[in-house]
Amino acid sequence: MDVKLFLVAFVAVFISELGDKSQLAAIALGGSSPSPRAVFFGTASALLLASFISVVLGGSSSVFIPEKLVKGIAAIGFGLLGLRLLWPESENS
Amino acid sequence: MTSANSDSRPADSDRNLPARDPNSGFWPVFLSTFITIFLAELGDKTQVTTLLMSAESKAPVVVFLGAGLALVSTSLIGVLLGQWLSNRVSEETLDTCAGILLLLITIGLVGDILSR
Repeated sequence: MDVKLFLVAFVAVFISELGDKSQLAAIALGGSSPSPRAVFFGTASALLLASFISVVLGGSSSVFIPEKLVKGIAAIGFGLLGLRLLWPESENS
Repeated sequence: MTSANSDSRPADSDRNLPARDPNSGFWPVFLSTFITIFLAELGDKTQVTTLLMSAESKAPVVVFLGAGLALVSTSLIGVLLGQWLSNRVSEETLDTCAGILLLLITIGLVGDILSR
């Protein structure tokens, strides 16, 4: 196995993810959720799947991801999670 | 033989349990976290980095292992940091800060969408 390539991939991704939105979300959700383990598994598997997809797509040049749509849905999701933390009781009404 | 320490938690169960966690189970938390993080990361810079690296190097497995380990580490650090904070900050403060942080991430995502 190419150790150098492994280390380059690790360091590049580690540094670019440090303090990035998914880690901030992990901090926010992990601290406030009643089930931090679920937050960890959810975050880690989502990131693994996203990077698995990009590795698989790395071979083919035609990559089509409707980025605005996908990010828009993610924005709505984060917005809802945030609003639920700020105003928990409005969820029940 | 010690006695009289059995009533240390009297009627704790109905002491103002706020309705804050309708989704306290594992799977709702897992799924909501998974879906939002996955969609947010799809097409993000880390994914592009991984994509380019694996296309250039012809060793996608190695790239995936390196990137995957890094991603698991950063999310573990994030969750542990959140846990550490939750032991030091009151629950209400933490929820407020976490909610604001998530809304900031939302704004960042909207900014990403608009700036492209």
